[in-house]
Amino acid sequence: MPPGQREMPDEPPPFLGTWPRVYTAVVVYLAFLIALCYVFTRAFS
Amino acid sequence: MRPLDWVVLVGSLASIIAYGLYRGRGSNTVDRYLLAGRSMPWYAMALSIMATQASAITFISTTGQSYVDGMRFVQFYFGMPLAMVALSATVVPIFHRAKVYTAYEYLENRFDAKTRALASVIFLMQRGLSVGLTFYAPAIVLSIIFGWPDRLTTAIIGVTVVLYTVTGGIRTVTWTDVQQMVIILFGLVVALVMIFVLLPRQVSFLDALHLAGSAGKLNAVTFHFDWNDRYNLWSGLIGGMFLALSYFGCDQSQVQRYLTGKSITQSKLSLLFTAMAKIPMQFFILFIGAMVFVFYIFEPPPLVFQRVEYNRIRQPELRARYDPIAARYQEAFARRKAQALAMVEARHTADTRAEREAIENYRRAQQDVDSARRQGASLVEATGGEKGFRDTNYIFLSFVTRYLPTGIVGLLIAVILAATMSSSSGEINSLATVSVVDIYRRHFRKDATDRHYLNASRVATAFWGAYAVAFAGLGKHLGSLIEAVNIVGSLFYGSLLGVFVLAFFFKRVSGTGAFVGMLAGEAAIFAAFLFTGISFLWYNVIGCLVVISTGMAVSYVAPAASATPDITR
Repeated sequence: MPPGQREMPDEPPPFLGTWPRVYTAVVVYLAFLIALCYVFTRAFS
Repeated sequence: MRPLDWVVLVGSLASIIAYGLYRGRGSNTVDRYLLAGRSMPWYAMALSIMATQASAITFISTTGQSYVDGMRFVQFYFGMPLAMVALSATVVPIFHRAKVYTAYEYLENRFDAKTRALASVIFLMQRGLSVGLTFYAPAIVLSIIFGWPDRLTTAIIGVTVVLYTVTGGIRTVTWTDVQQMVIILFGLVVALVMIFVLLPRQVSFLDALHLAGSAGKLNAVTFHFDWNDRYNLWSGLIGGMFLALSYFGCDQSQVQRYLTGKSITQSKLSLLFTAMAKIPMQFFILFIGAMVFVFYIFEPPPLVFQRVEYNRIRQPELRARYDPIAARYQEAFARRKAQALAMVEARHTADTRAEREAIENYRRAQQDVDSARRQGASLVEATGGEKGFRDTNYIFLSFVTRYLPTGIVGLLIAVILAATMSSSSGEINSLATVSVVDIYRRHFRKDATDRHYLNASRVATAFWGAYAVAFAGLGKHLGSLIEAVNIVGSLFYGSLLGVFVLAFFFKRVSGTGAFVGMLAGEAAIFAAFLFTGISFLWYNVIGCLVVISTGMAVSYVAPAASATPDITR
């Protein structure tokens, strides 16, 4: 690895502690939105 | 447009341009002009990314798409959060650490110059066509309002945008986008509120939802799998994810936004915020289209929303063909309205049997309305109109100009025009960046001064503006603009995604393997486009897989002479 690449460390996110937790939260949020859309579709069809 | 509309329109545009130029002060070096000195905060990048997508096309075409086809287009965005997570975990740190101006610059570090050049050319072709469509959308606005020819208005807007973009740079583009996003959201809320204000008194919010849903307009999720069906859960999750991976990972117009970030964390947050906000926003815009549909249950819509064609088919020489269709349309409209009111009344009195009967009759009347509209479109086509004529892009604006009060019309037109300026300026900026950094500086003039490259960037900006205007006329041949933009992108994105996947995850693949793989990927995509009925969302998957498999096969048969440098970790 060239030295320049080490100048930008991957900092922790400002919330939830680690990036994997943030990514998991985004995926759970997506599942929630799809479920909401499904309920919406069923309720008014 | 009345005087107050003109005051709101001109005032809004002037304030946006002035704010953008104010924010863009000091863009006097290549680094500041193209990457804002890598100083942008996450919220500005996120709103800028969203504003670029929420262009005039979003307002004009997505609402019309929902009016005609329902809300299932929202599924197209389901893959985006998955893509954003993948990109944040992999691509963003790699690009930041490589300290590149463009995504394609990285390909030379990993492979060779020819692979970088091919990827750059593919991007320039694709984005150059797309920016033309971005220009075309507001031309529709002006053609409806003033009756101006599309080409003239496209040229006028194009020249304005080029002048504005040349002076500012990416910092201007980004901060203007932020301001745009606020105005767009405000405009959306105002439009929806106005629709509900204009509905008949006896029709409640829930009634409106049931009327739209019973006509199949609230179909936000469909599970049925079909390769040829453009929008279902599966094509959205898988195809949409690949398209978003390509768009946000390989398209310089987006990559350049998060390369302006202060840090890796700021860039990651901008992408993840976009992922979380995009689906609700798109849902909201589609919902507005569905509510415009409900509005037109009670107010007679024109047989054809494109005013010029509508006036043409009502000329005396065509009346013999127009009148029977119009009579059928009016009869079906009256029947649909009566059944809708019966349905609302049955709901209010909790008469389930009467409601069920009214719904059946309402759906039958809706089918007749649709059928008459199709006949109207066929009449346009058969009497010298555009082949494959569709009026999807004219529906929302027809509603705005006919029914919204003075002042609000001006505001919404200002939003549409300004969003176009902002979106296209970002696209042109990225086209200029790739032209100068990946082509001109790499192959023609390697050791010039910073001032020279800054001026070259401005010249390239003007060139791409002219190119976009020249191709804008294609918009009218491509049906719904929002689909057209994504179809054009899908013809090229799969190959770009494939070569970046090779670069990041397949260490043994050579430059020649990647180069041949990209050519094979493009060939496969165009074969799918020209000779099959496969939905465009799958082109990205096909292209990506063909690039990867071909790249690996070629590298196995003819391995690279020396190991490629590892700069991906």
